[in-house]
Amino acid sequence: MKSYLELIPISAKVHRKQTRMTRLCIVISVFLIAAIFGMADMFLQSQMEQAIQSDGAWHVGFKALNEEQIAMIRARPEVKTGARYAVTNYRLDMGYAINGTQTALCGFDESFFELYPAVHLLGGTFPQEDDEVLVSESAWDRLNLAAGDSIKVTTPGKPLVFRVSGYIEDTMGLLQGGAFGVFMDTDTYLSYFQEATLEKDFVYFVGFVPHCRIQDAVEDICKQLEIPRDSVSENSKLMGLLLQSSDSYILTLYLVAVILAALVAFAGMLMILGSLNSNVAQRTEFFGMMRCLGATGKQIRRFVRLEALSWCRTAIPLGLVSGMAVVWILCGMLRVASPIYFGGMPLFGVSWIGLGAGCVIGLLTVLAAMNSPARKASKVSPLTAVSGNANTVFAAKRAADTRLFHVETALGIHHAAGSKKNLLLMTASFAFSILLFLSFGTGVDFMHHAIQPLRPWTPDVSVVSPDNSCTISDSLLAQLKENPAVSRIFGRSFAYDLPVRLHGEHKTVTLISYEDWQFGWAEDNVLEGSMDRVKNGEGVFLVSREGFAAHPDDEITVETKLGSRTVTIAGILGYVPFDAGKEAGILICSEELFRQLTGEAGYTILDLQLKDQSDRAVEEIHGTAGEGYTFSDRRASNQNVRAVYFSFALFVYGFLAVVALIAAFNIINSIGMSVSARMRQYGAMRAIGTSARQLKIMIAAETATCLFCGLITGLALGLPLHYALYQKVITSRWGDVWKLPVSEICIIAVVMTASAVLAVVGPARRISGMSVVETISAQ
Amino acid sequence: MEILKVQNLCKTYGKEEARVDALKNVSFTLEKGEFAAVVGESGSGKSTLLNCIGALDTPTSGNIMVDRQDLFSMKEEQRTIFRRRNIGFVFQSFQLIPELNVEQNVMFPLLLDYRRPDPAAVGEILELLGLADRRRHLPGQLSGGQQQRVAIGRALITRPALILADEPTGNLDSKNSQDVMDLLTQASRRYQQTILMITHNNNLVSSADRVLRITDGVLKDLGGNADEKLS
Repeated sequence: MKSYLELIPISAKVHRKQTRMTRLCIVISVFLIAAIFGMADMFLQSQMEQAIQSDGAWHVGFKALNEEQIAMIRARPEVKTGARYAVTNYRLDMGYAINGTQTALCGFDESFFELYPAVHLLGGTFPQEDDEVLVSESAWDRLNLAAGDSIKVTTPGKPLVFRVSGYIEDTMGLLQGGAFGVFMDTDTYLSYFQEATLEKDFVYFVGFVPHCRIQDAVEDICKQLEIPRDSVSENSKLMGLLLQSSDSYILTLYLVAVILAALVAFAGMLMILGSLNSNVAQRTEFFGMMRCLGATGKQIRRFVRLEALSWCRTAIPLGLVSGMAVVWILCGMLRVASPIYFGGMPLFGVSWIGLGAGCVIGLLTVLAAMNSPARKASKVSPLTAVSGNANTVFAAKRAADTRLFHVETALGIHHAAGSKKNLLLMTASFAFSILLFLSFGTGVDFMHHAIQPLRPWTPDVSVVSPDNSCTISDSLLAQLKENPAVSRIFGRSFAYDLPVRLHGEHKTVTLISYEDWQFGWAEDNVLEGSMDRVKNGEGVFLVSREGFAAHPDDEITVETKLGSRTVTIAGILGYVPFDAGKEAGILICSEELFRQLTGEAGYTILDLQLKDQSDRAVEEIHGTAGEGYTFSDRRASNQNVRAVYFSFALFVYGFLAVVALIAAFNIINSIGMSVSARMRQYGAMRAIGTSARQLKIMIAAETATCLFCGLITGLALGLPLHYALYQKVITSRWGDVWKLPVSEICIIAVVMTASAVLAVVGPARRISGMSVVETISAQ
Repeated sequence: MEILKVQNLCKTYGKEEARVDALKNVSFTLEKGEFAAVVGESGSGKSTLLNCIGALDTPTSGNIMVDRQDLFSMKEEQRTIFRRRNIGFVFQSFQLIPELNVEQNVMFPLLLDYRRPDPAAVGEILELLGLADRRRHLPGQLSGGQQQRVAIGRALITRPALILADEPTGNLDSKNSQDVMDLLTQASRRYQQTILMITHNNNLVSSADRVLRITDGVLKDLGGNADEKLS
């Protein structure tokens, strides 16, 4: 031995069991921090992947620029890619069609493919000649086109003929609208459609080089080229994820994220601090002995710090690896669940943010957390080594109150509350779990507001009457029902702008028919009245909205082409997934009543949910429906919604699970540490006749006291924080009023109580199995 | 009346080459009110003997009867309750409960038994220990000698049949050591309690009625106290 510090590895070997809890604590703290930051990193990456797939990789779009301005922007060093993009008949209402199918006409530069990686050239080449165009995949397939074929586009003016050079993937918009797309080079486009293009539909998309300060660059471009700021649009989701957004709401989200990150880091610190403090407290006698032998306070401080660092050597890498393993599992789940959107996610990717955060916070926390125990250790009097008080872990300042409770309960409460500092630390660490859980809980509210999951009634494909009339026949519905690929089919008939008289006032409504499935889904939205009466055709549902105040059994007179008829309002619905415009109300009735009122026997729309979502199955359904209807394919957009929702939910609930894990670990660890620190005392108690059951009660009382104080303090601090975050994230955006997060409180309370029970069981088992002789004579 | 009967007690630690026979066929009895001292070198097996008699450790073979009850035929919970009612312990390092004051520490075995302590009996013991004016003090506020007196009070409070004292003066100076010995002798006489004490200190043996020497796990009864035999 050359230095007293060489005692550290020797002592570590001897006290391996004793320091196991501390090392485990560092491992778990680092794991939690690495997992949570790694998850946040992967969450951002997954959302970025998804945003690029659905909205494109462009950062900003400039509207209505001239060629000179475009050239100036393109020449700037911070601009990586630029592409002109213009569209006509984007809203499918301008009368452009191929073979009667509405057609959107697009012009873009070839570099557009870089900015929209989801748009692939599936076959052929990008148009090189003036009359060459690409078509959408559905047009290519349905019109049986080949490269070199001609297509005729009918326009509000003269028809135009183009030569097809290839085809690209359908976009979600085209599929949903059941429309074709024709795509050409921007110059060709402008030569044909410059006049017809709305100013807002001509955009110059720009992708900047990585690490560019995009807001500054845009500011500079606008200033130099005199472009009004409001003609610049942002790819808000991508910009937000790149932390480059100027949107005030996104900035608020950044702030919330910083608060949450700080809370997580602090939680890790608290855990490590608690465990190190307890470890040093257990070895007071050892440090006293060192002081006795002549070690200075400074040497003890050094010893304690180096010892902590030596634990970090194995504990931090272990924590980091296990944290990354969780991240890999989540990434794997994402890839399996939605390969289209998250296929690009690395399966064994390394989150440098997670690793860095785990490493830095772990190390810094250990160093920072060691200060206080090191100081405490250096101040241990040499006398403690020889006096009988060395095993007094937390020196009592006042006696336990044995008047109210049995002695074991009183001692348990006193173990928790006897030392104010200890109680404060324990309460803080318990309360912090609640604080963390409630704060992350706002993420669930955010998810429910920001992302609408697929509703049970969301169709995969729809057959829509082109003029919104009731022209889809019953027989088509029956025919499609027979198709084995269809799992559910339901039709609705619409009668728009029907004049009605309600309480003597004249208004207009849209009358919609429902069948059994749709009535079933509407059940939760019935505010008043009877669903059965509406289903049986004895009345209608009125959808609650301003200007349409009514109650069940009120009457409403509806004017149709068959004349005027008064029907009973059998119930009020709070919500329907349709909008009838600003003024009109909505009435829902049975199919039979709809026929009686309007005389129309057909449907306006048939919604189909599919068992088999393959292109072949959809083509077959399309074939059955024929070309007379608009065929809306929502599979891609549904997949998008599913992917966004799944990825968001995976991470939000992942965060909550990790936070709950922090809470559970914190409680189990704190109680475990506290019991370990008092092991000699428990041994002495066993020797003088305390039964294992009584010791169990003692630990349970200690745990219950900490839990109670933690819960009360956690709620007292957590609820205001939850309120503040809710105001910032939800109320400011969606206007929802804050409500007590009852479910979150219940969940965390259950987790904490269950952990408290576990926290008691382990040590109690340890105590009943301990050797009294070894325990009281142990160093 | 026989309070303690030890028959053919053996205790072995380890196996094969590492095997240590800490106690070898130890047999002896103690009568009610007898004060016996066990002497022996360090590592001779004194503490092992005391731990086995106190049911803190399990013997490898042999029987121990305390007040005609076989300790090791009882279940763990039963044995614990028996111990707190019938055996008092005095440890070298006191082992007081730091969160309880002097009075509470003394009453502790009664409180564990959910019995209401008799204030007069507690007061009498505190008077005997000379701690009446310190009854509200915490162990941390007492000297070593005072702490050991509290530990003796705790051992006496249930009026146990047997008191086991493991080097009770090991952490004390000579003045406090003598006080503690006087207390133990007084208790033995006054309450007719049987005391088995382990000590290194030959001077303390004079207080005992009987001396037992243990050498390499073998117990030898030296009979009534005889300083010349020990020296």
